Amino acid sequence: MSITDLTSMGEPQTEQRKEINERLRRLQDEISDYCYQCAKCTSGCEAHKLLELEPHKIVALLKRGLIDEMINSEIIWTCMSCFKCRERCPQKVAPVEILFALKNLAVASGKQIPGNYTAMLQSVLSIGLLQDVKSITTKDNKTKTRTDLGLPEISKPADPTKFQMMLSKIAVEKV
Amino acid sequence: MKYALYPGCVMPTEQYAYEMSIREVMPKLDVELVDLKGFSCCGEPIKSVNQMLTLTLSARNLAIAEKEGLDIFAPCPICHLALSECKRILDADPAMNERVNKFLEDEGLKYSGTSDIVSTIDLIHDKIGIEKIKKLVKKPLKDLKVATHNGCHLIRPSEIGRPDDSENPQKMDKILKAVGANPLDYPEKLDCCGGLLTANLPEAALTKTGQKLKGVQDQGFDAFIDTCPWCHRQYDSKQTKAGETVAAKLDVPVLYLTQILGLSFGISKDKLGLDLNLSPVEKLAVVGGK
Repeated sequence: MSITDLTSMGEPQTEQRKEINERLRRLQDEISDYCYQCAKCTSGCEAHKLLELEPHKIVALLKRGLIDEMINSEIIWTCMSCFKCRERCPQKVAPVEILFALKNLAVASGKQIPGNYTAMLQSVLSIGLLQDVKSITTKDNKTKTRTDLGLPEISKPADPTKFQMMLSKIAVEKV
Repeated sequence: MKYALYPGCVMPTEQYAYEMSIREVMPKLDVELVDLKGFSCCGEPIKSVNQMLTLTLSARNLAIAEKEGLDIFAPCPICHLALSECKRILDADPAMNERVNKFLEDEGLKYSGTSDIVSTIDLIHDKIGIEKIKKLVKKPLKDLKVATHNGCHLIRPSEIGRPDDSENPQKMDKILKAVGANPLDYPEKLDCCGGLLTANLPEAALTKTGQKLKGVQDQGFDAFIDTCPWCHRQYDSKQTKAGETVAAKLDVPVLYLTQILGLSFGISKDKLGLDLNLSPVEKLAVVGGK
């Protein structure tokens, strides 16, 4: 038997919860799940005032196994990864890392990736960098390139085909 | 000292002033920078999409430097954290190490964990040292009241060996004191720029930027100094827009640490890319005068 969330009639996903906990353990052995809901994470959260992210609730929902509720919500995409929650937690819980795990899970289960993430990902896949070299405008409205500024050629993957091949293999991988 | 310069993405594709000032200042401090071919993104900005991708991309970049037997200088704190975290995970977990190395085989690379990673702050403060900085000062920044901004990734999470203290970072302040400036603590010192939200919530990102910078302006600072190309893009390149989000006319000169060091060493402003800063840097006497 498990607890049903009466506001959404959501059922806990025990398997997914195990998967996330397993993943966190694998990445950082000092991270614990002994949260006692002191909400210190939320009091210092950079996304709290502005975007209403409440990291202590994320931890509580994970403990209940209510994963679907979180990966279907846009709230997980409001974290700006300042790492204050992880730094300050007296119990060494790391809400920021839980959020990374949830976002990865959302993407892996085919949910739409918000904003520019798709474009960034595509750019990394095709040229190895988040964006291509830009020419920029100075304050007195002159356009400058790397060459104009005496900077050397940018470093990029030498063999894009091999590089793409490698990345496409990882696309389906989980931590 | 010799380091492979790992440029990352944002610095070499648009934040040219950072790269220019690094290439000017580091040789003066007897740091030889080596440019290597083949680097890619560190993966941190797409960690939300797939962390396995982040780990492999970081390991790939470390492997490129290892091949040349060089330690890595990563001026971008976001890259610095990604590379450091990758090293930490792969060195501690043989199974993950093997998995990631399997992907790297395609490009003939192998991660073995032999290269160290430094950021701008620990390279200048710990490796080069304050004494050496003092000796190079030609134009002391007399009593310039500056606010320092480290950038979240540079100081947190401290478990992943960060260059400075997570709650009371003082290294950048000490570096600036050495060139005659007067860095002061301020309540918003540890606040985030919001830059990583640019991907999906750009308005909110700008609001974070505006809030912090407005605090800095209200407290009468002469300049705002940073070392992160993501933060700098927010505070300098988008300063006017950031001001609009908090209904303020922002007018704060924002400079990279390496730019202000270069100025105090007597390097010309053109070589330090100061005409690329969009914030009002010309307000500073050390920039305005020839």
